[in-house]
Amino acid sequence: MSDSTEKIPVKITIILPTNAYFLSGIRDFTLTMTKNMTGFSEQWAYRFQSVVDELCNNAIEHGSEKGKNVKITFISVPEESLEVVIEDTGTGSAKYTAAQMGNLVKERVSMMHSQYLGLRGRGLPKIVAEWTDELLFEDIEGGGLRVRAKKYLRDKENKVLSSTVQVPTHLQLTN
Amino acid sequence: MAQATITFEDLKTDSEKKVKIIKVAGQLDESNVDEEAKKVYAQIESGGANLSLIFDFSGLEYMNSKSIGYLTDWYSKVSAAGGKAVIAQAKNNIIDILQVVGLTQLITTYPSIEEAKLAVM
Repeated sequence: MSDSTEKIPVKITIILPTNAYFLSGIRDFTLTMTKNMTGFSEQWAYRFQSVVDELCNNAIEHGSEKGKNVKITFISVPEESLEVVIEDTGTGSAKYTAAQMGNLVKERVSMMHSQYLGLRGRGLPKIVAEWTDELLFEDIEGGGLRVRAKKYLRDKENKVLSSTVQVPTHLQLTN
Repeated sequence: MAQATITFEDLKTDSEKKVKIIKVAGQLDESNVDEEAKKVYAQIESGGANLSLIFDFSGLEYMNSKSIGYLTDWYSKVSAAGGKAVIAQAKNNIIDILQVVGLTQLITTYPSIEEAKLAVM
């Protein structure tokens, strides 16, 4: 018999064609779900929306070729954590392993410590890494990458924020 | 597909300074930002030296990392040509994402258009 206080995760999976056309719909869904189902503040709902958008866009742009799909799974443990898992098919332009991706993010995180003026490259090291507590890359058997980005709900940090000026969240890169 | 509109307005100034308000509305993401960015580059190129830009973000709901990259490049271009670039009336979520990538250390944000005008004129 389960403990009555046990929090049951809510898991939602969406499969998208590899086309940026659908990103706005995923963002709308992410924002609404995070605001209404997770216990996170509105500010963190917007932040998680950006995290999901950047990860989905990377999978569409680099991970899965046109005509293939990207799989997005949201796992919410209400009042505890919110995780997004993105899977590509490995048929896209980038052929990185999970270990290579982990190293790439670490390199870019250190590169971003100085004033960065480049056109690209902020999504993973700044937006995703700064606004999640765990970022994990996994190789999928048969091809493709799985990215897990998880944010824990902590009372002071996440629930009620009156200002947009925040000390950056703790970052734990795992690979 | 995300919808975005960019409109341009030239401000009259008492000096030789050229100031342009670039009003961005909607959502800038991978599906539209490359096309929208071309319009801004065209304005910067035709504006020449000493052109300053006020980005009116009052109607901007979302921007992704690539659009932030373009914004950084526009700032670099007008700064190199002797002008300034500032942001006005951005929503909290936009300021938040600009802060996390460090862009607010580079481009000043103002709560109103009037304050932004004072900063560049």
